[in-house]
Amino acid sequence: SPAGDSWGIFTFLCAALCNLPALPALNCSEELGAGQSIQQTYDLTRYLEHQLRTLAGTYLNYLGPPFNEPDFNPPRLARAERVPSATVDLDLWRGLTDNARLAANYRAYSRLLCYLRVLDGQVGTAELRHRLAHFCASLQGLVLSIGGVMSSLGYPLPAGPAGPPAGPPEAPPAPNDFLKKMDDFWLLKELQTWLWRSAKDFNRLKKKVPPAVVTLRLEARGF
Amino acid sequence: DSPVQYERVGADVTMKCGSMDWDAAVTWTANGTDIDESRLNGSYLILKNVDLTQSGQYSCYEGSSWHLKYQTSLRVGTPPREPVLMCRSNNYPKGFYCSWHLPTPTYIPNTFNISVIHGTKEMVCEKDAVPKNRCHIRYLQLFSTVKYKVTLTVTNALGKNFTTLTFDEFAIVKPDPPESVVAKPVPNNPRRLEVSWQNPSSWPDPESFPLKFFLRYRPLILDQWQHVELSDGTSHTITDAYAGKEYIIQVAAKDNDIGTWSDWSVAVHATPWTEEPKHLTTEAQITETTSASTSSFMAPPTTKICDKGAMVGSGAMAVCWTAGLVVAAYSVLFI
Repeated sequence: SPAGDSWGIFTFLCAALCNLPALPALNCSEELGAGQSIQQTYDLTRYLEHQLRTLAGTYLNYLGPPFNEPDFNPPRLARAERVPSATVDLDLWRGLTDNARLAANYRAYSRLLCYLRVLDGQVGTAELRHRLAHFCASLQGLVLSIGGVMSSLGYPLPAGPAGPPAGPPEAPPAPNDFLKKMDDFWLLKELQTWLWRSAKDFNRLKKKVPPAVVTLRLEARGF
Repeated sequence: DSPVQYERVGADVTMKCGSMDWDAAVTWTANGTDIDESRLNGSYLILKNVDLTQSGQYSCYEGSSWHLKYQTSLRVGTPPREPVLMCRSNNYPKGFYCSWHLPTPTYIPNTFNISVIHGTKEMVCEKDAVPKNRCHIRYLQLFSTVKYKVTLTVTNALGKNFTTLTFDEFAIVKPDPPESVVAKPVPNNPRRLEVSWQNPSSWPDPESFPLKFFLRYRPLILDQWQHVELSDGTSHTITDAYAGKEYIIQVAAKDNDIGTWSDWSVAVHATPWTEEPKHLTTEAQITETTSASTSSFMAPPTTKICDKGAMVGSGAMAVCWTAGLVVAAYSVLFI
């Protein structure tokens, strides 16, 4: 399509200009790289959301009723507030800067990953352990992908748990089995909601950063 | 104004003539017509197993004086069955609306009361003027993990009933169908149809909440639809249409990530471009040549050039204009 051709020419020129040592770093190749990785991050959230549906179904069945009932609608206990919530005021969400938007996602998934890893250690069946491990690996990939987008746009990564954690911070263990299951229920719920929210977050980011209709691999700077 | 008395279909109704004694002589009328004495038990009117046709104005007159002693308006109906409630967000992320109706009529007035609870908070669902039986809510927060619980209670003089819906914010997202669907043939392409449409106008923010689309099309003569899913853009060119066959085309929309597909849009019809037959009928040929030679000021019909294709697009208009100019120039030469 004609639009694609002009983008191709533009990116070629951009890449050429960016490699001229005389010019100051235009960062355009990084921005175009970011555009591509925003798309990849978006795709990852969709993939994870799909994976989570199967995982959550299996896990809630493992927890048993009432957790696996579709109408189950418990009140949010205070202890559930530890899990980072995707819920946000509409106007506030709209007004987030790119940096704030990305940072919120980065922080949320980092912490959710921590909690999930704890879960992984405790879970009963082999099938669940396998699924959880797979999901954690994909979620780790998402965190890294978001980090990559932030770096390529020149934003600092938020401080906090990014690597393998010792354990979730300030987490008093649940006093009984039922409350432990409630914790698990809310963890999965928040994770699901975050993945829905992230799709929207990355849609917004896609519009801001120019789309990379790039066939040239700009990451390889030895060009 | 006489009081209203509500009774269930099938009930036995006993009407007393006000404060008159049981053995008083009275006459009852229903909508002005005298009621036969066989229906009376003393001065009481007995209506057994009432049905809807017995609704009306009942009056009781003292025997000799014809004084009106008692009057009532009887309304026969039923208590409400469980109402049907539906909630939907066609304007995500602004909010959602709920609409309801009764599966069977009650034949008497009903009042509806709707309550929306989100976690611990009670939200107000603002009633719409038109249509009735509909209310809308604005979201205060987005991406909520807590479900919404909507309870609709319907009450009338004979009873009450209710229904409840519990749902997540994402589950009820369903856009309206795409608007202004247009299908045009593509000149010189007998197997193509160009389809374009617009986002539904009720969808407030297609930039941040993009829609994806589903197109279906088939020739009128076949039952089997062909489908195309489009993740962006509001147009598509069908390239495998059967030449010369009229097509029916519809489009549906969905938020890219959440919710369900809209209903299908209004159907549009279009036929791919077909080449004009090279030979004209002899009658038409004679008319053409006659008019060209005899009239200098009257332009021969330009419709032949401009008629290509079922629809007139801007390209065809340019051809018309050019043809018009050529003819005008030619005509001037004849002066």
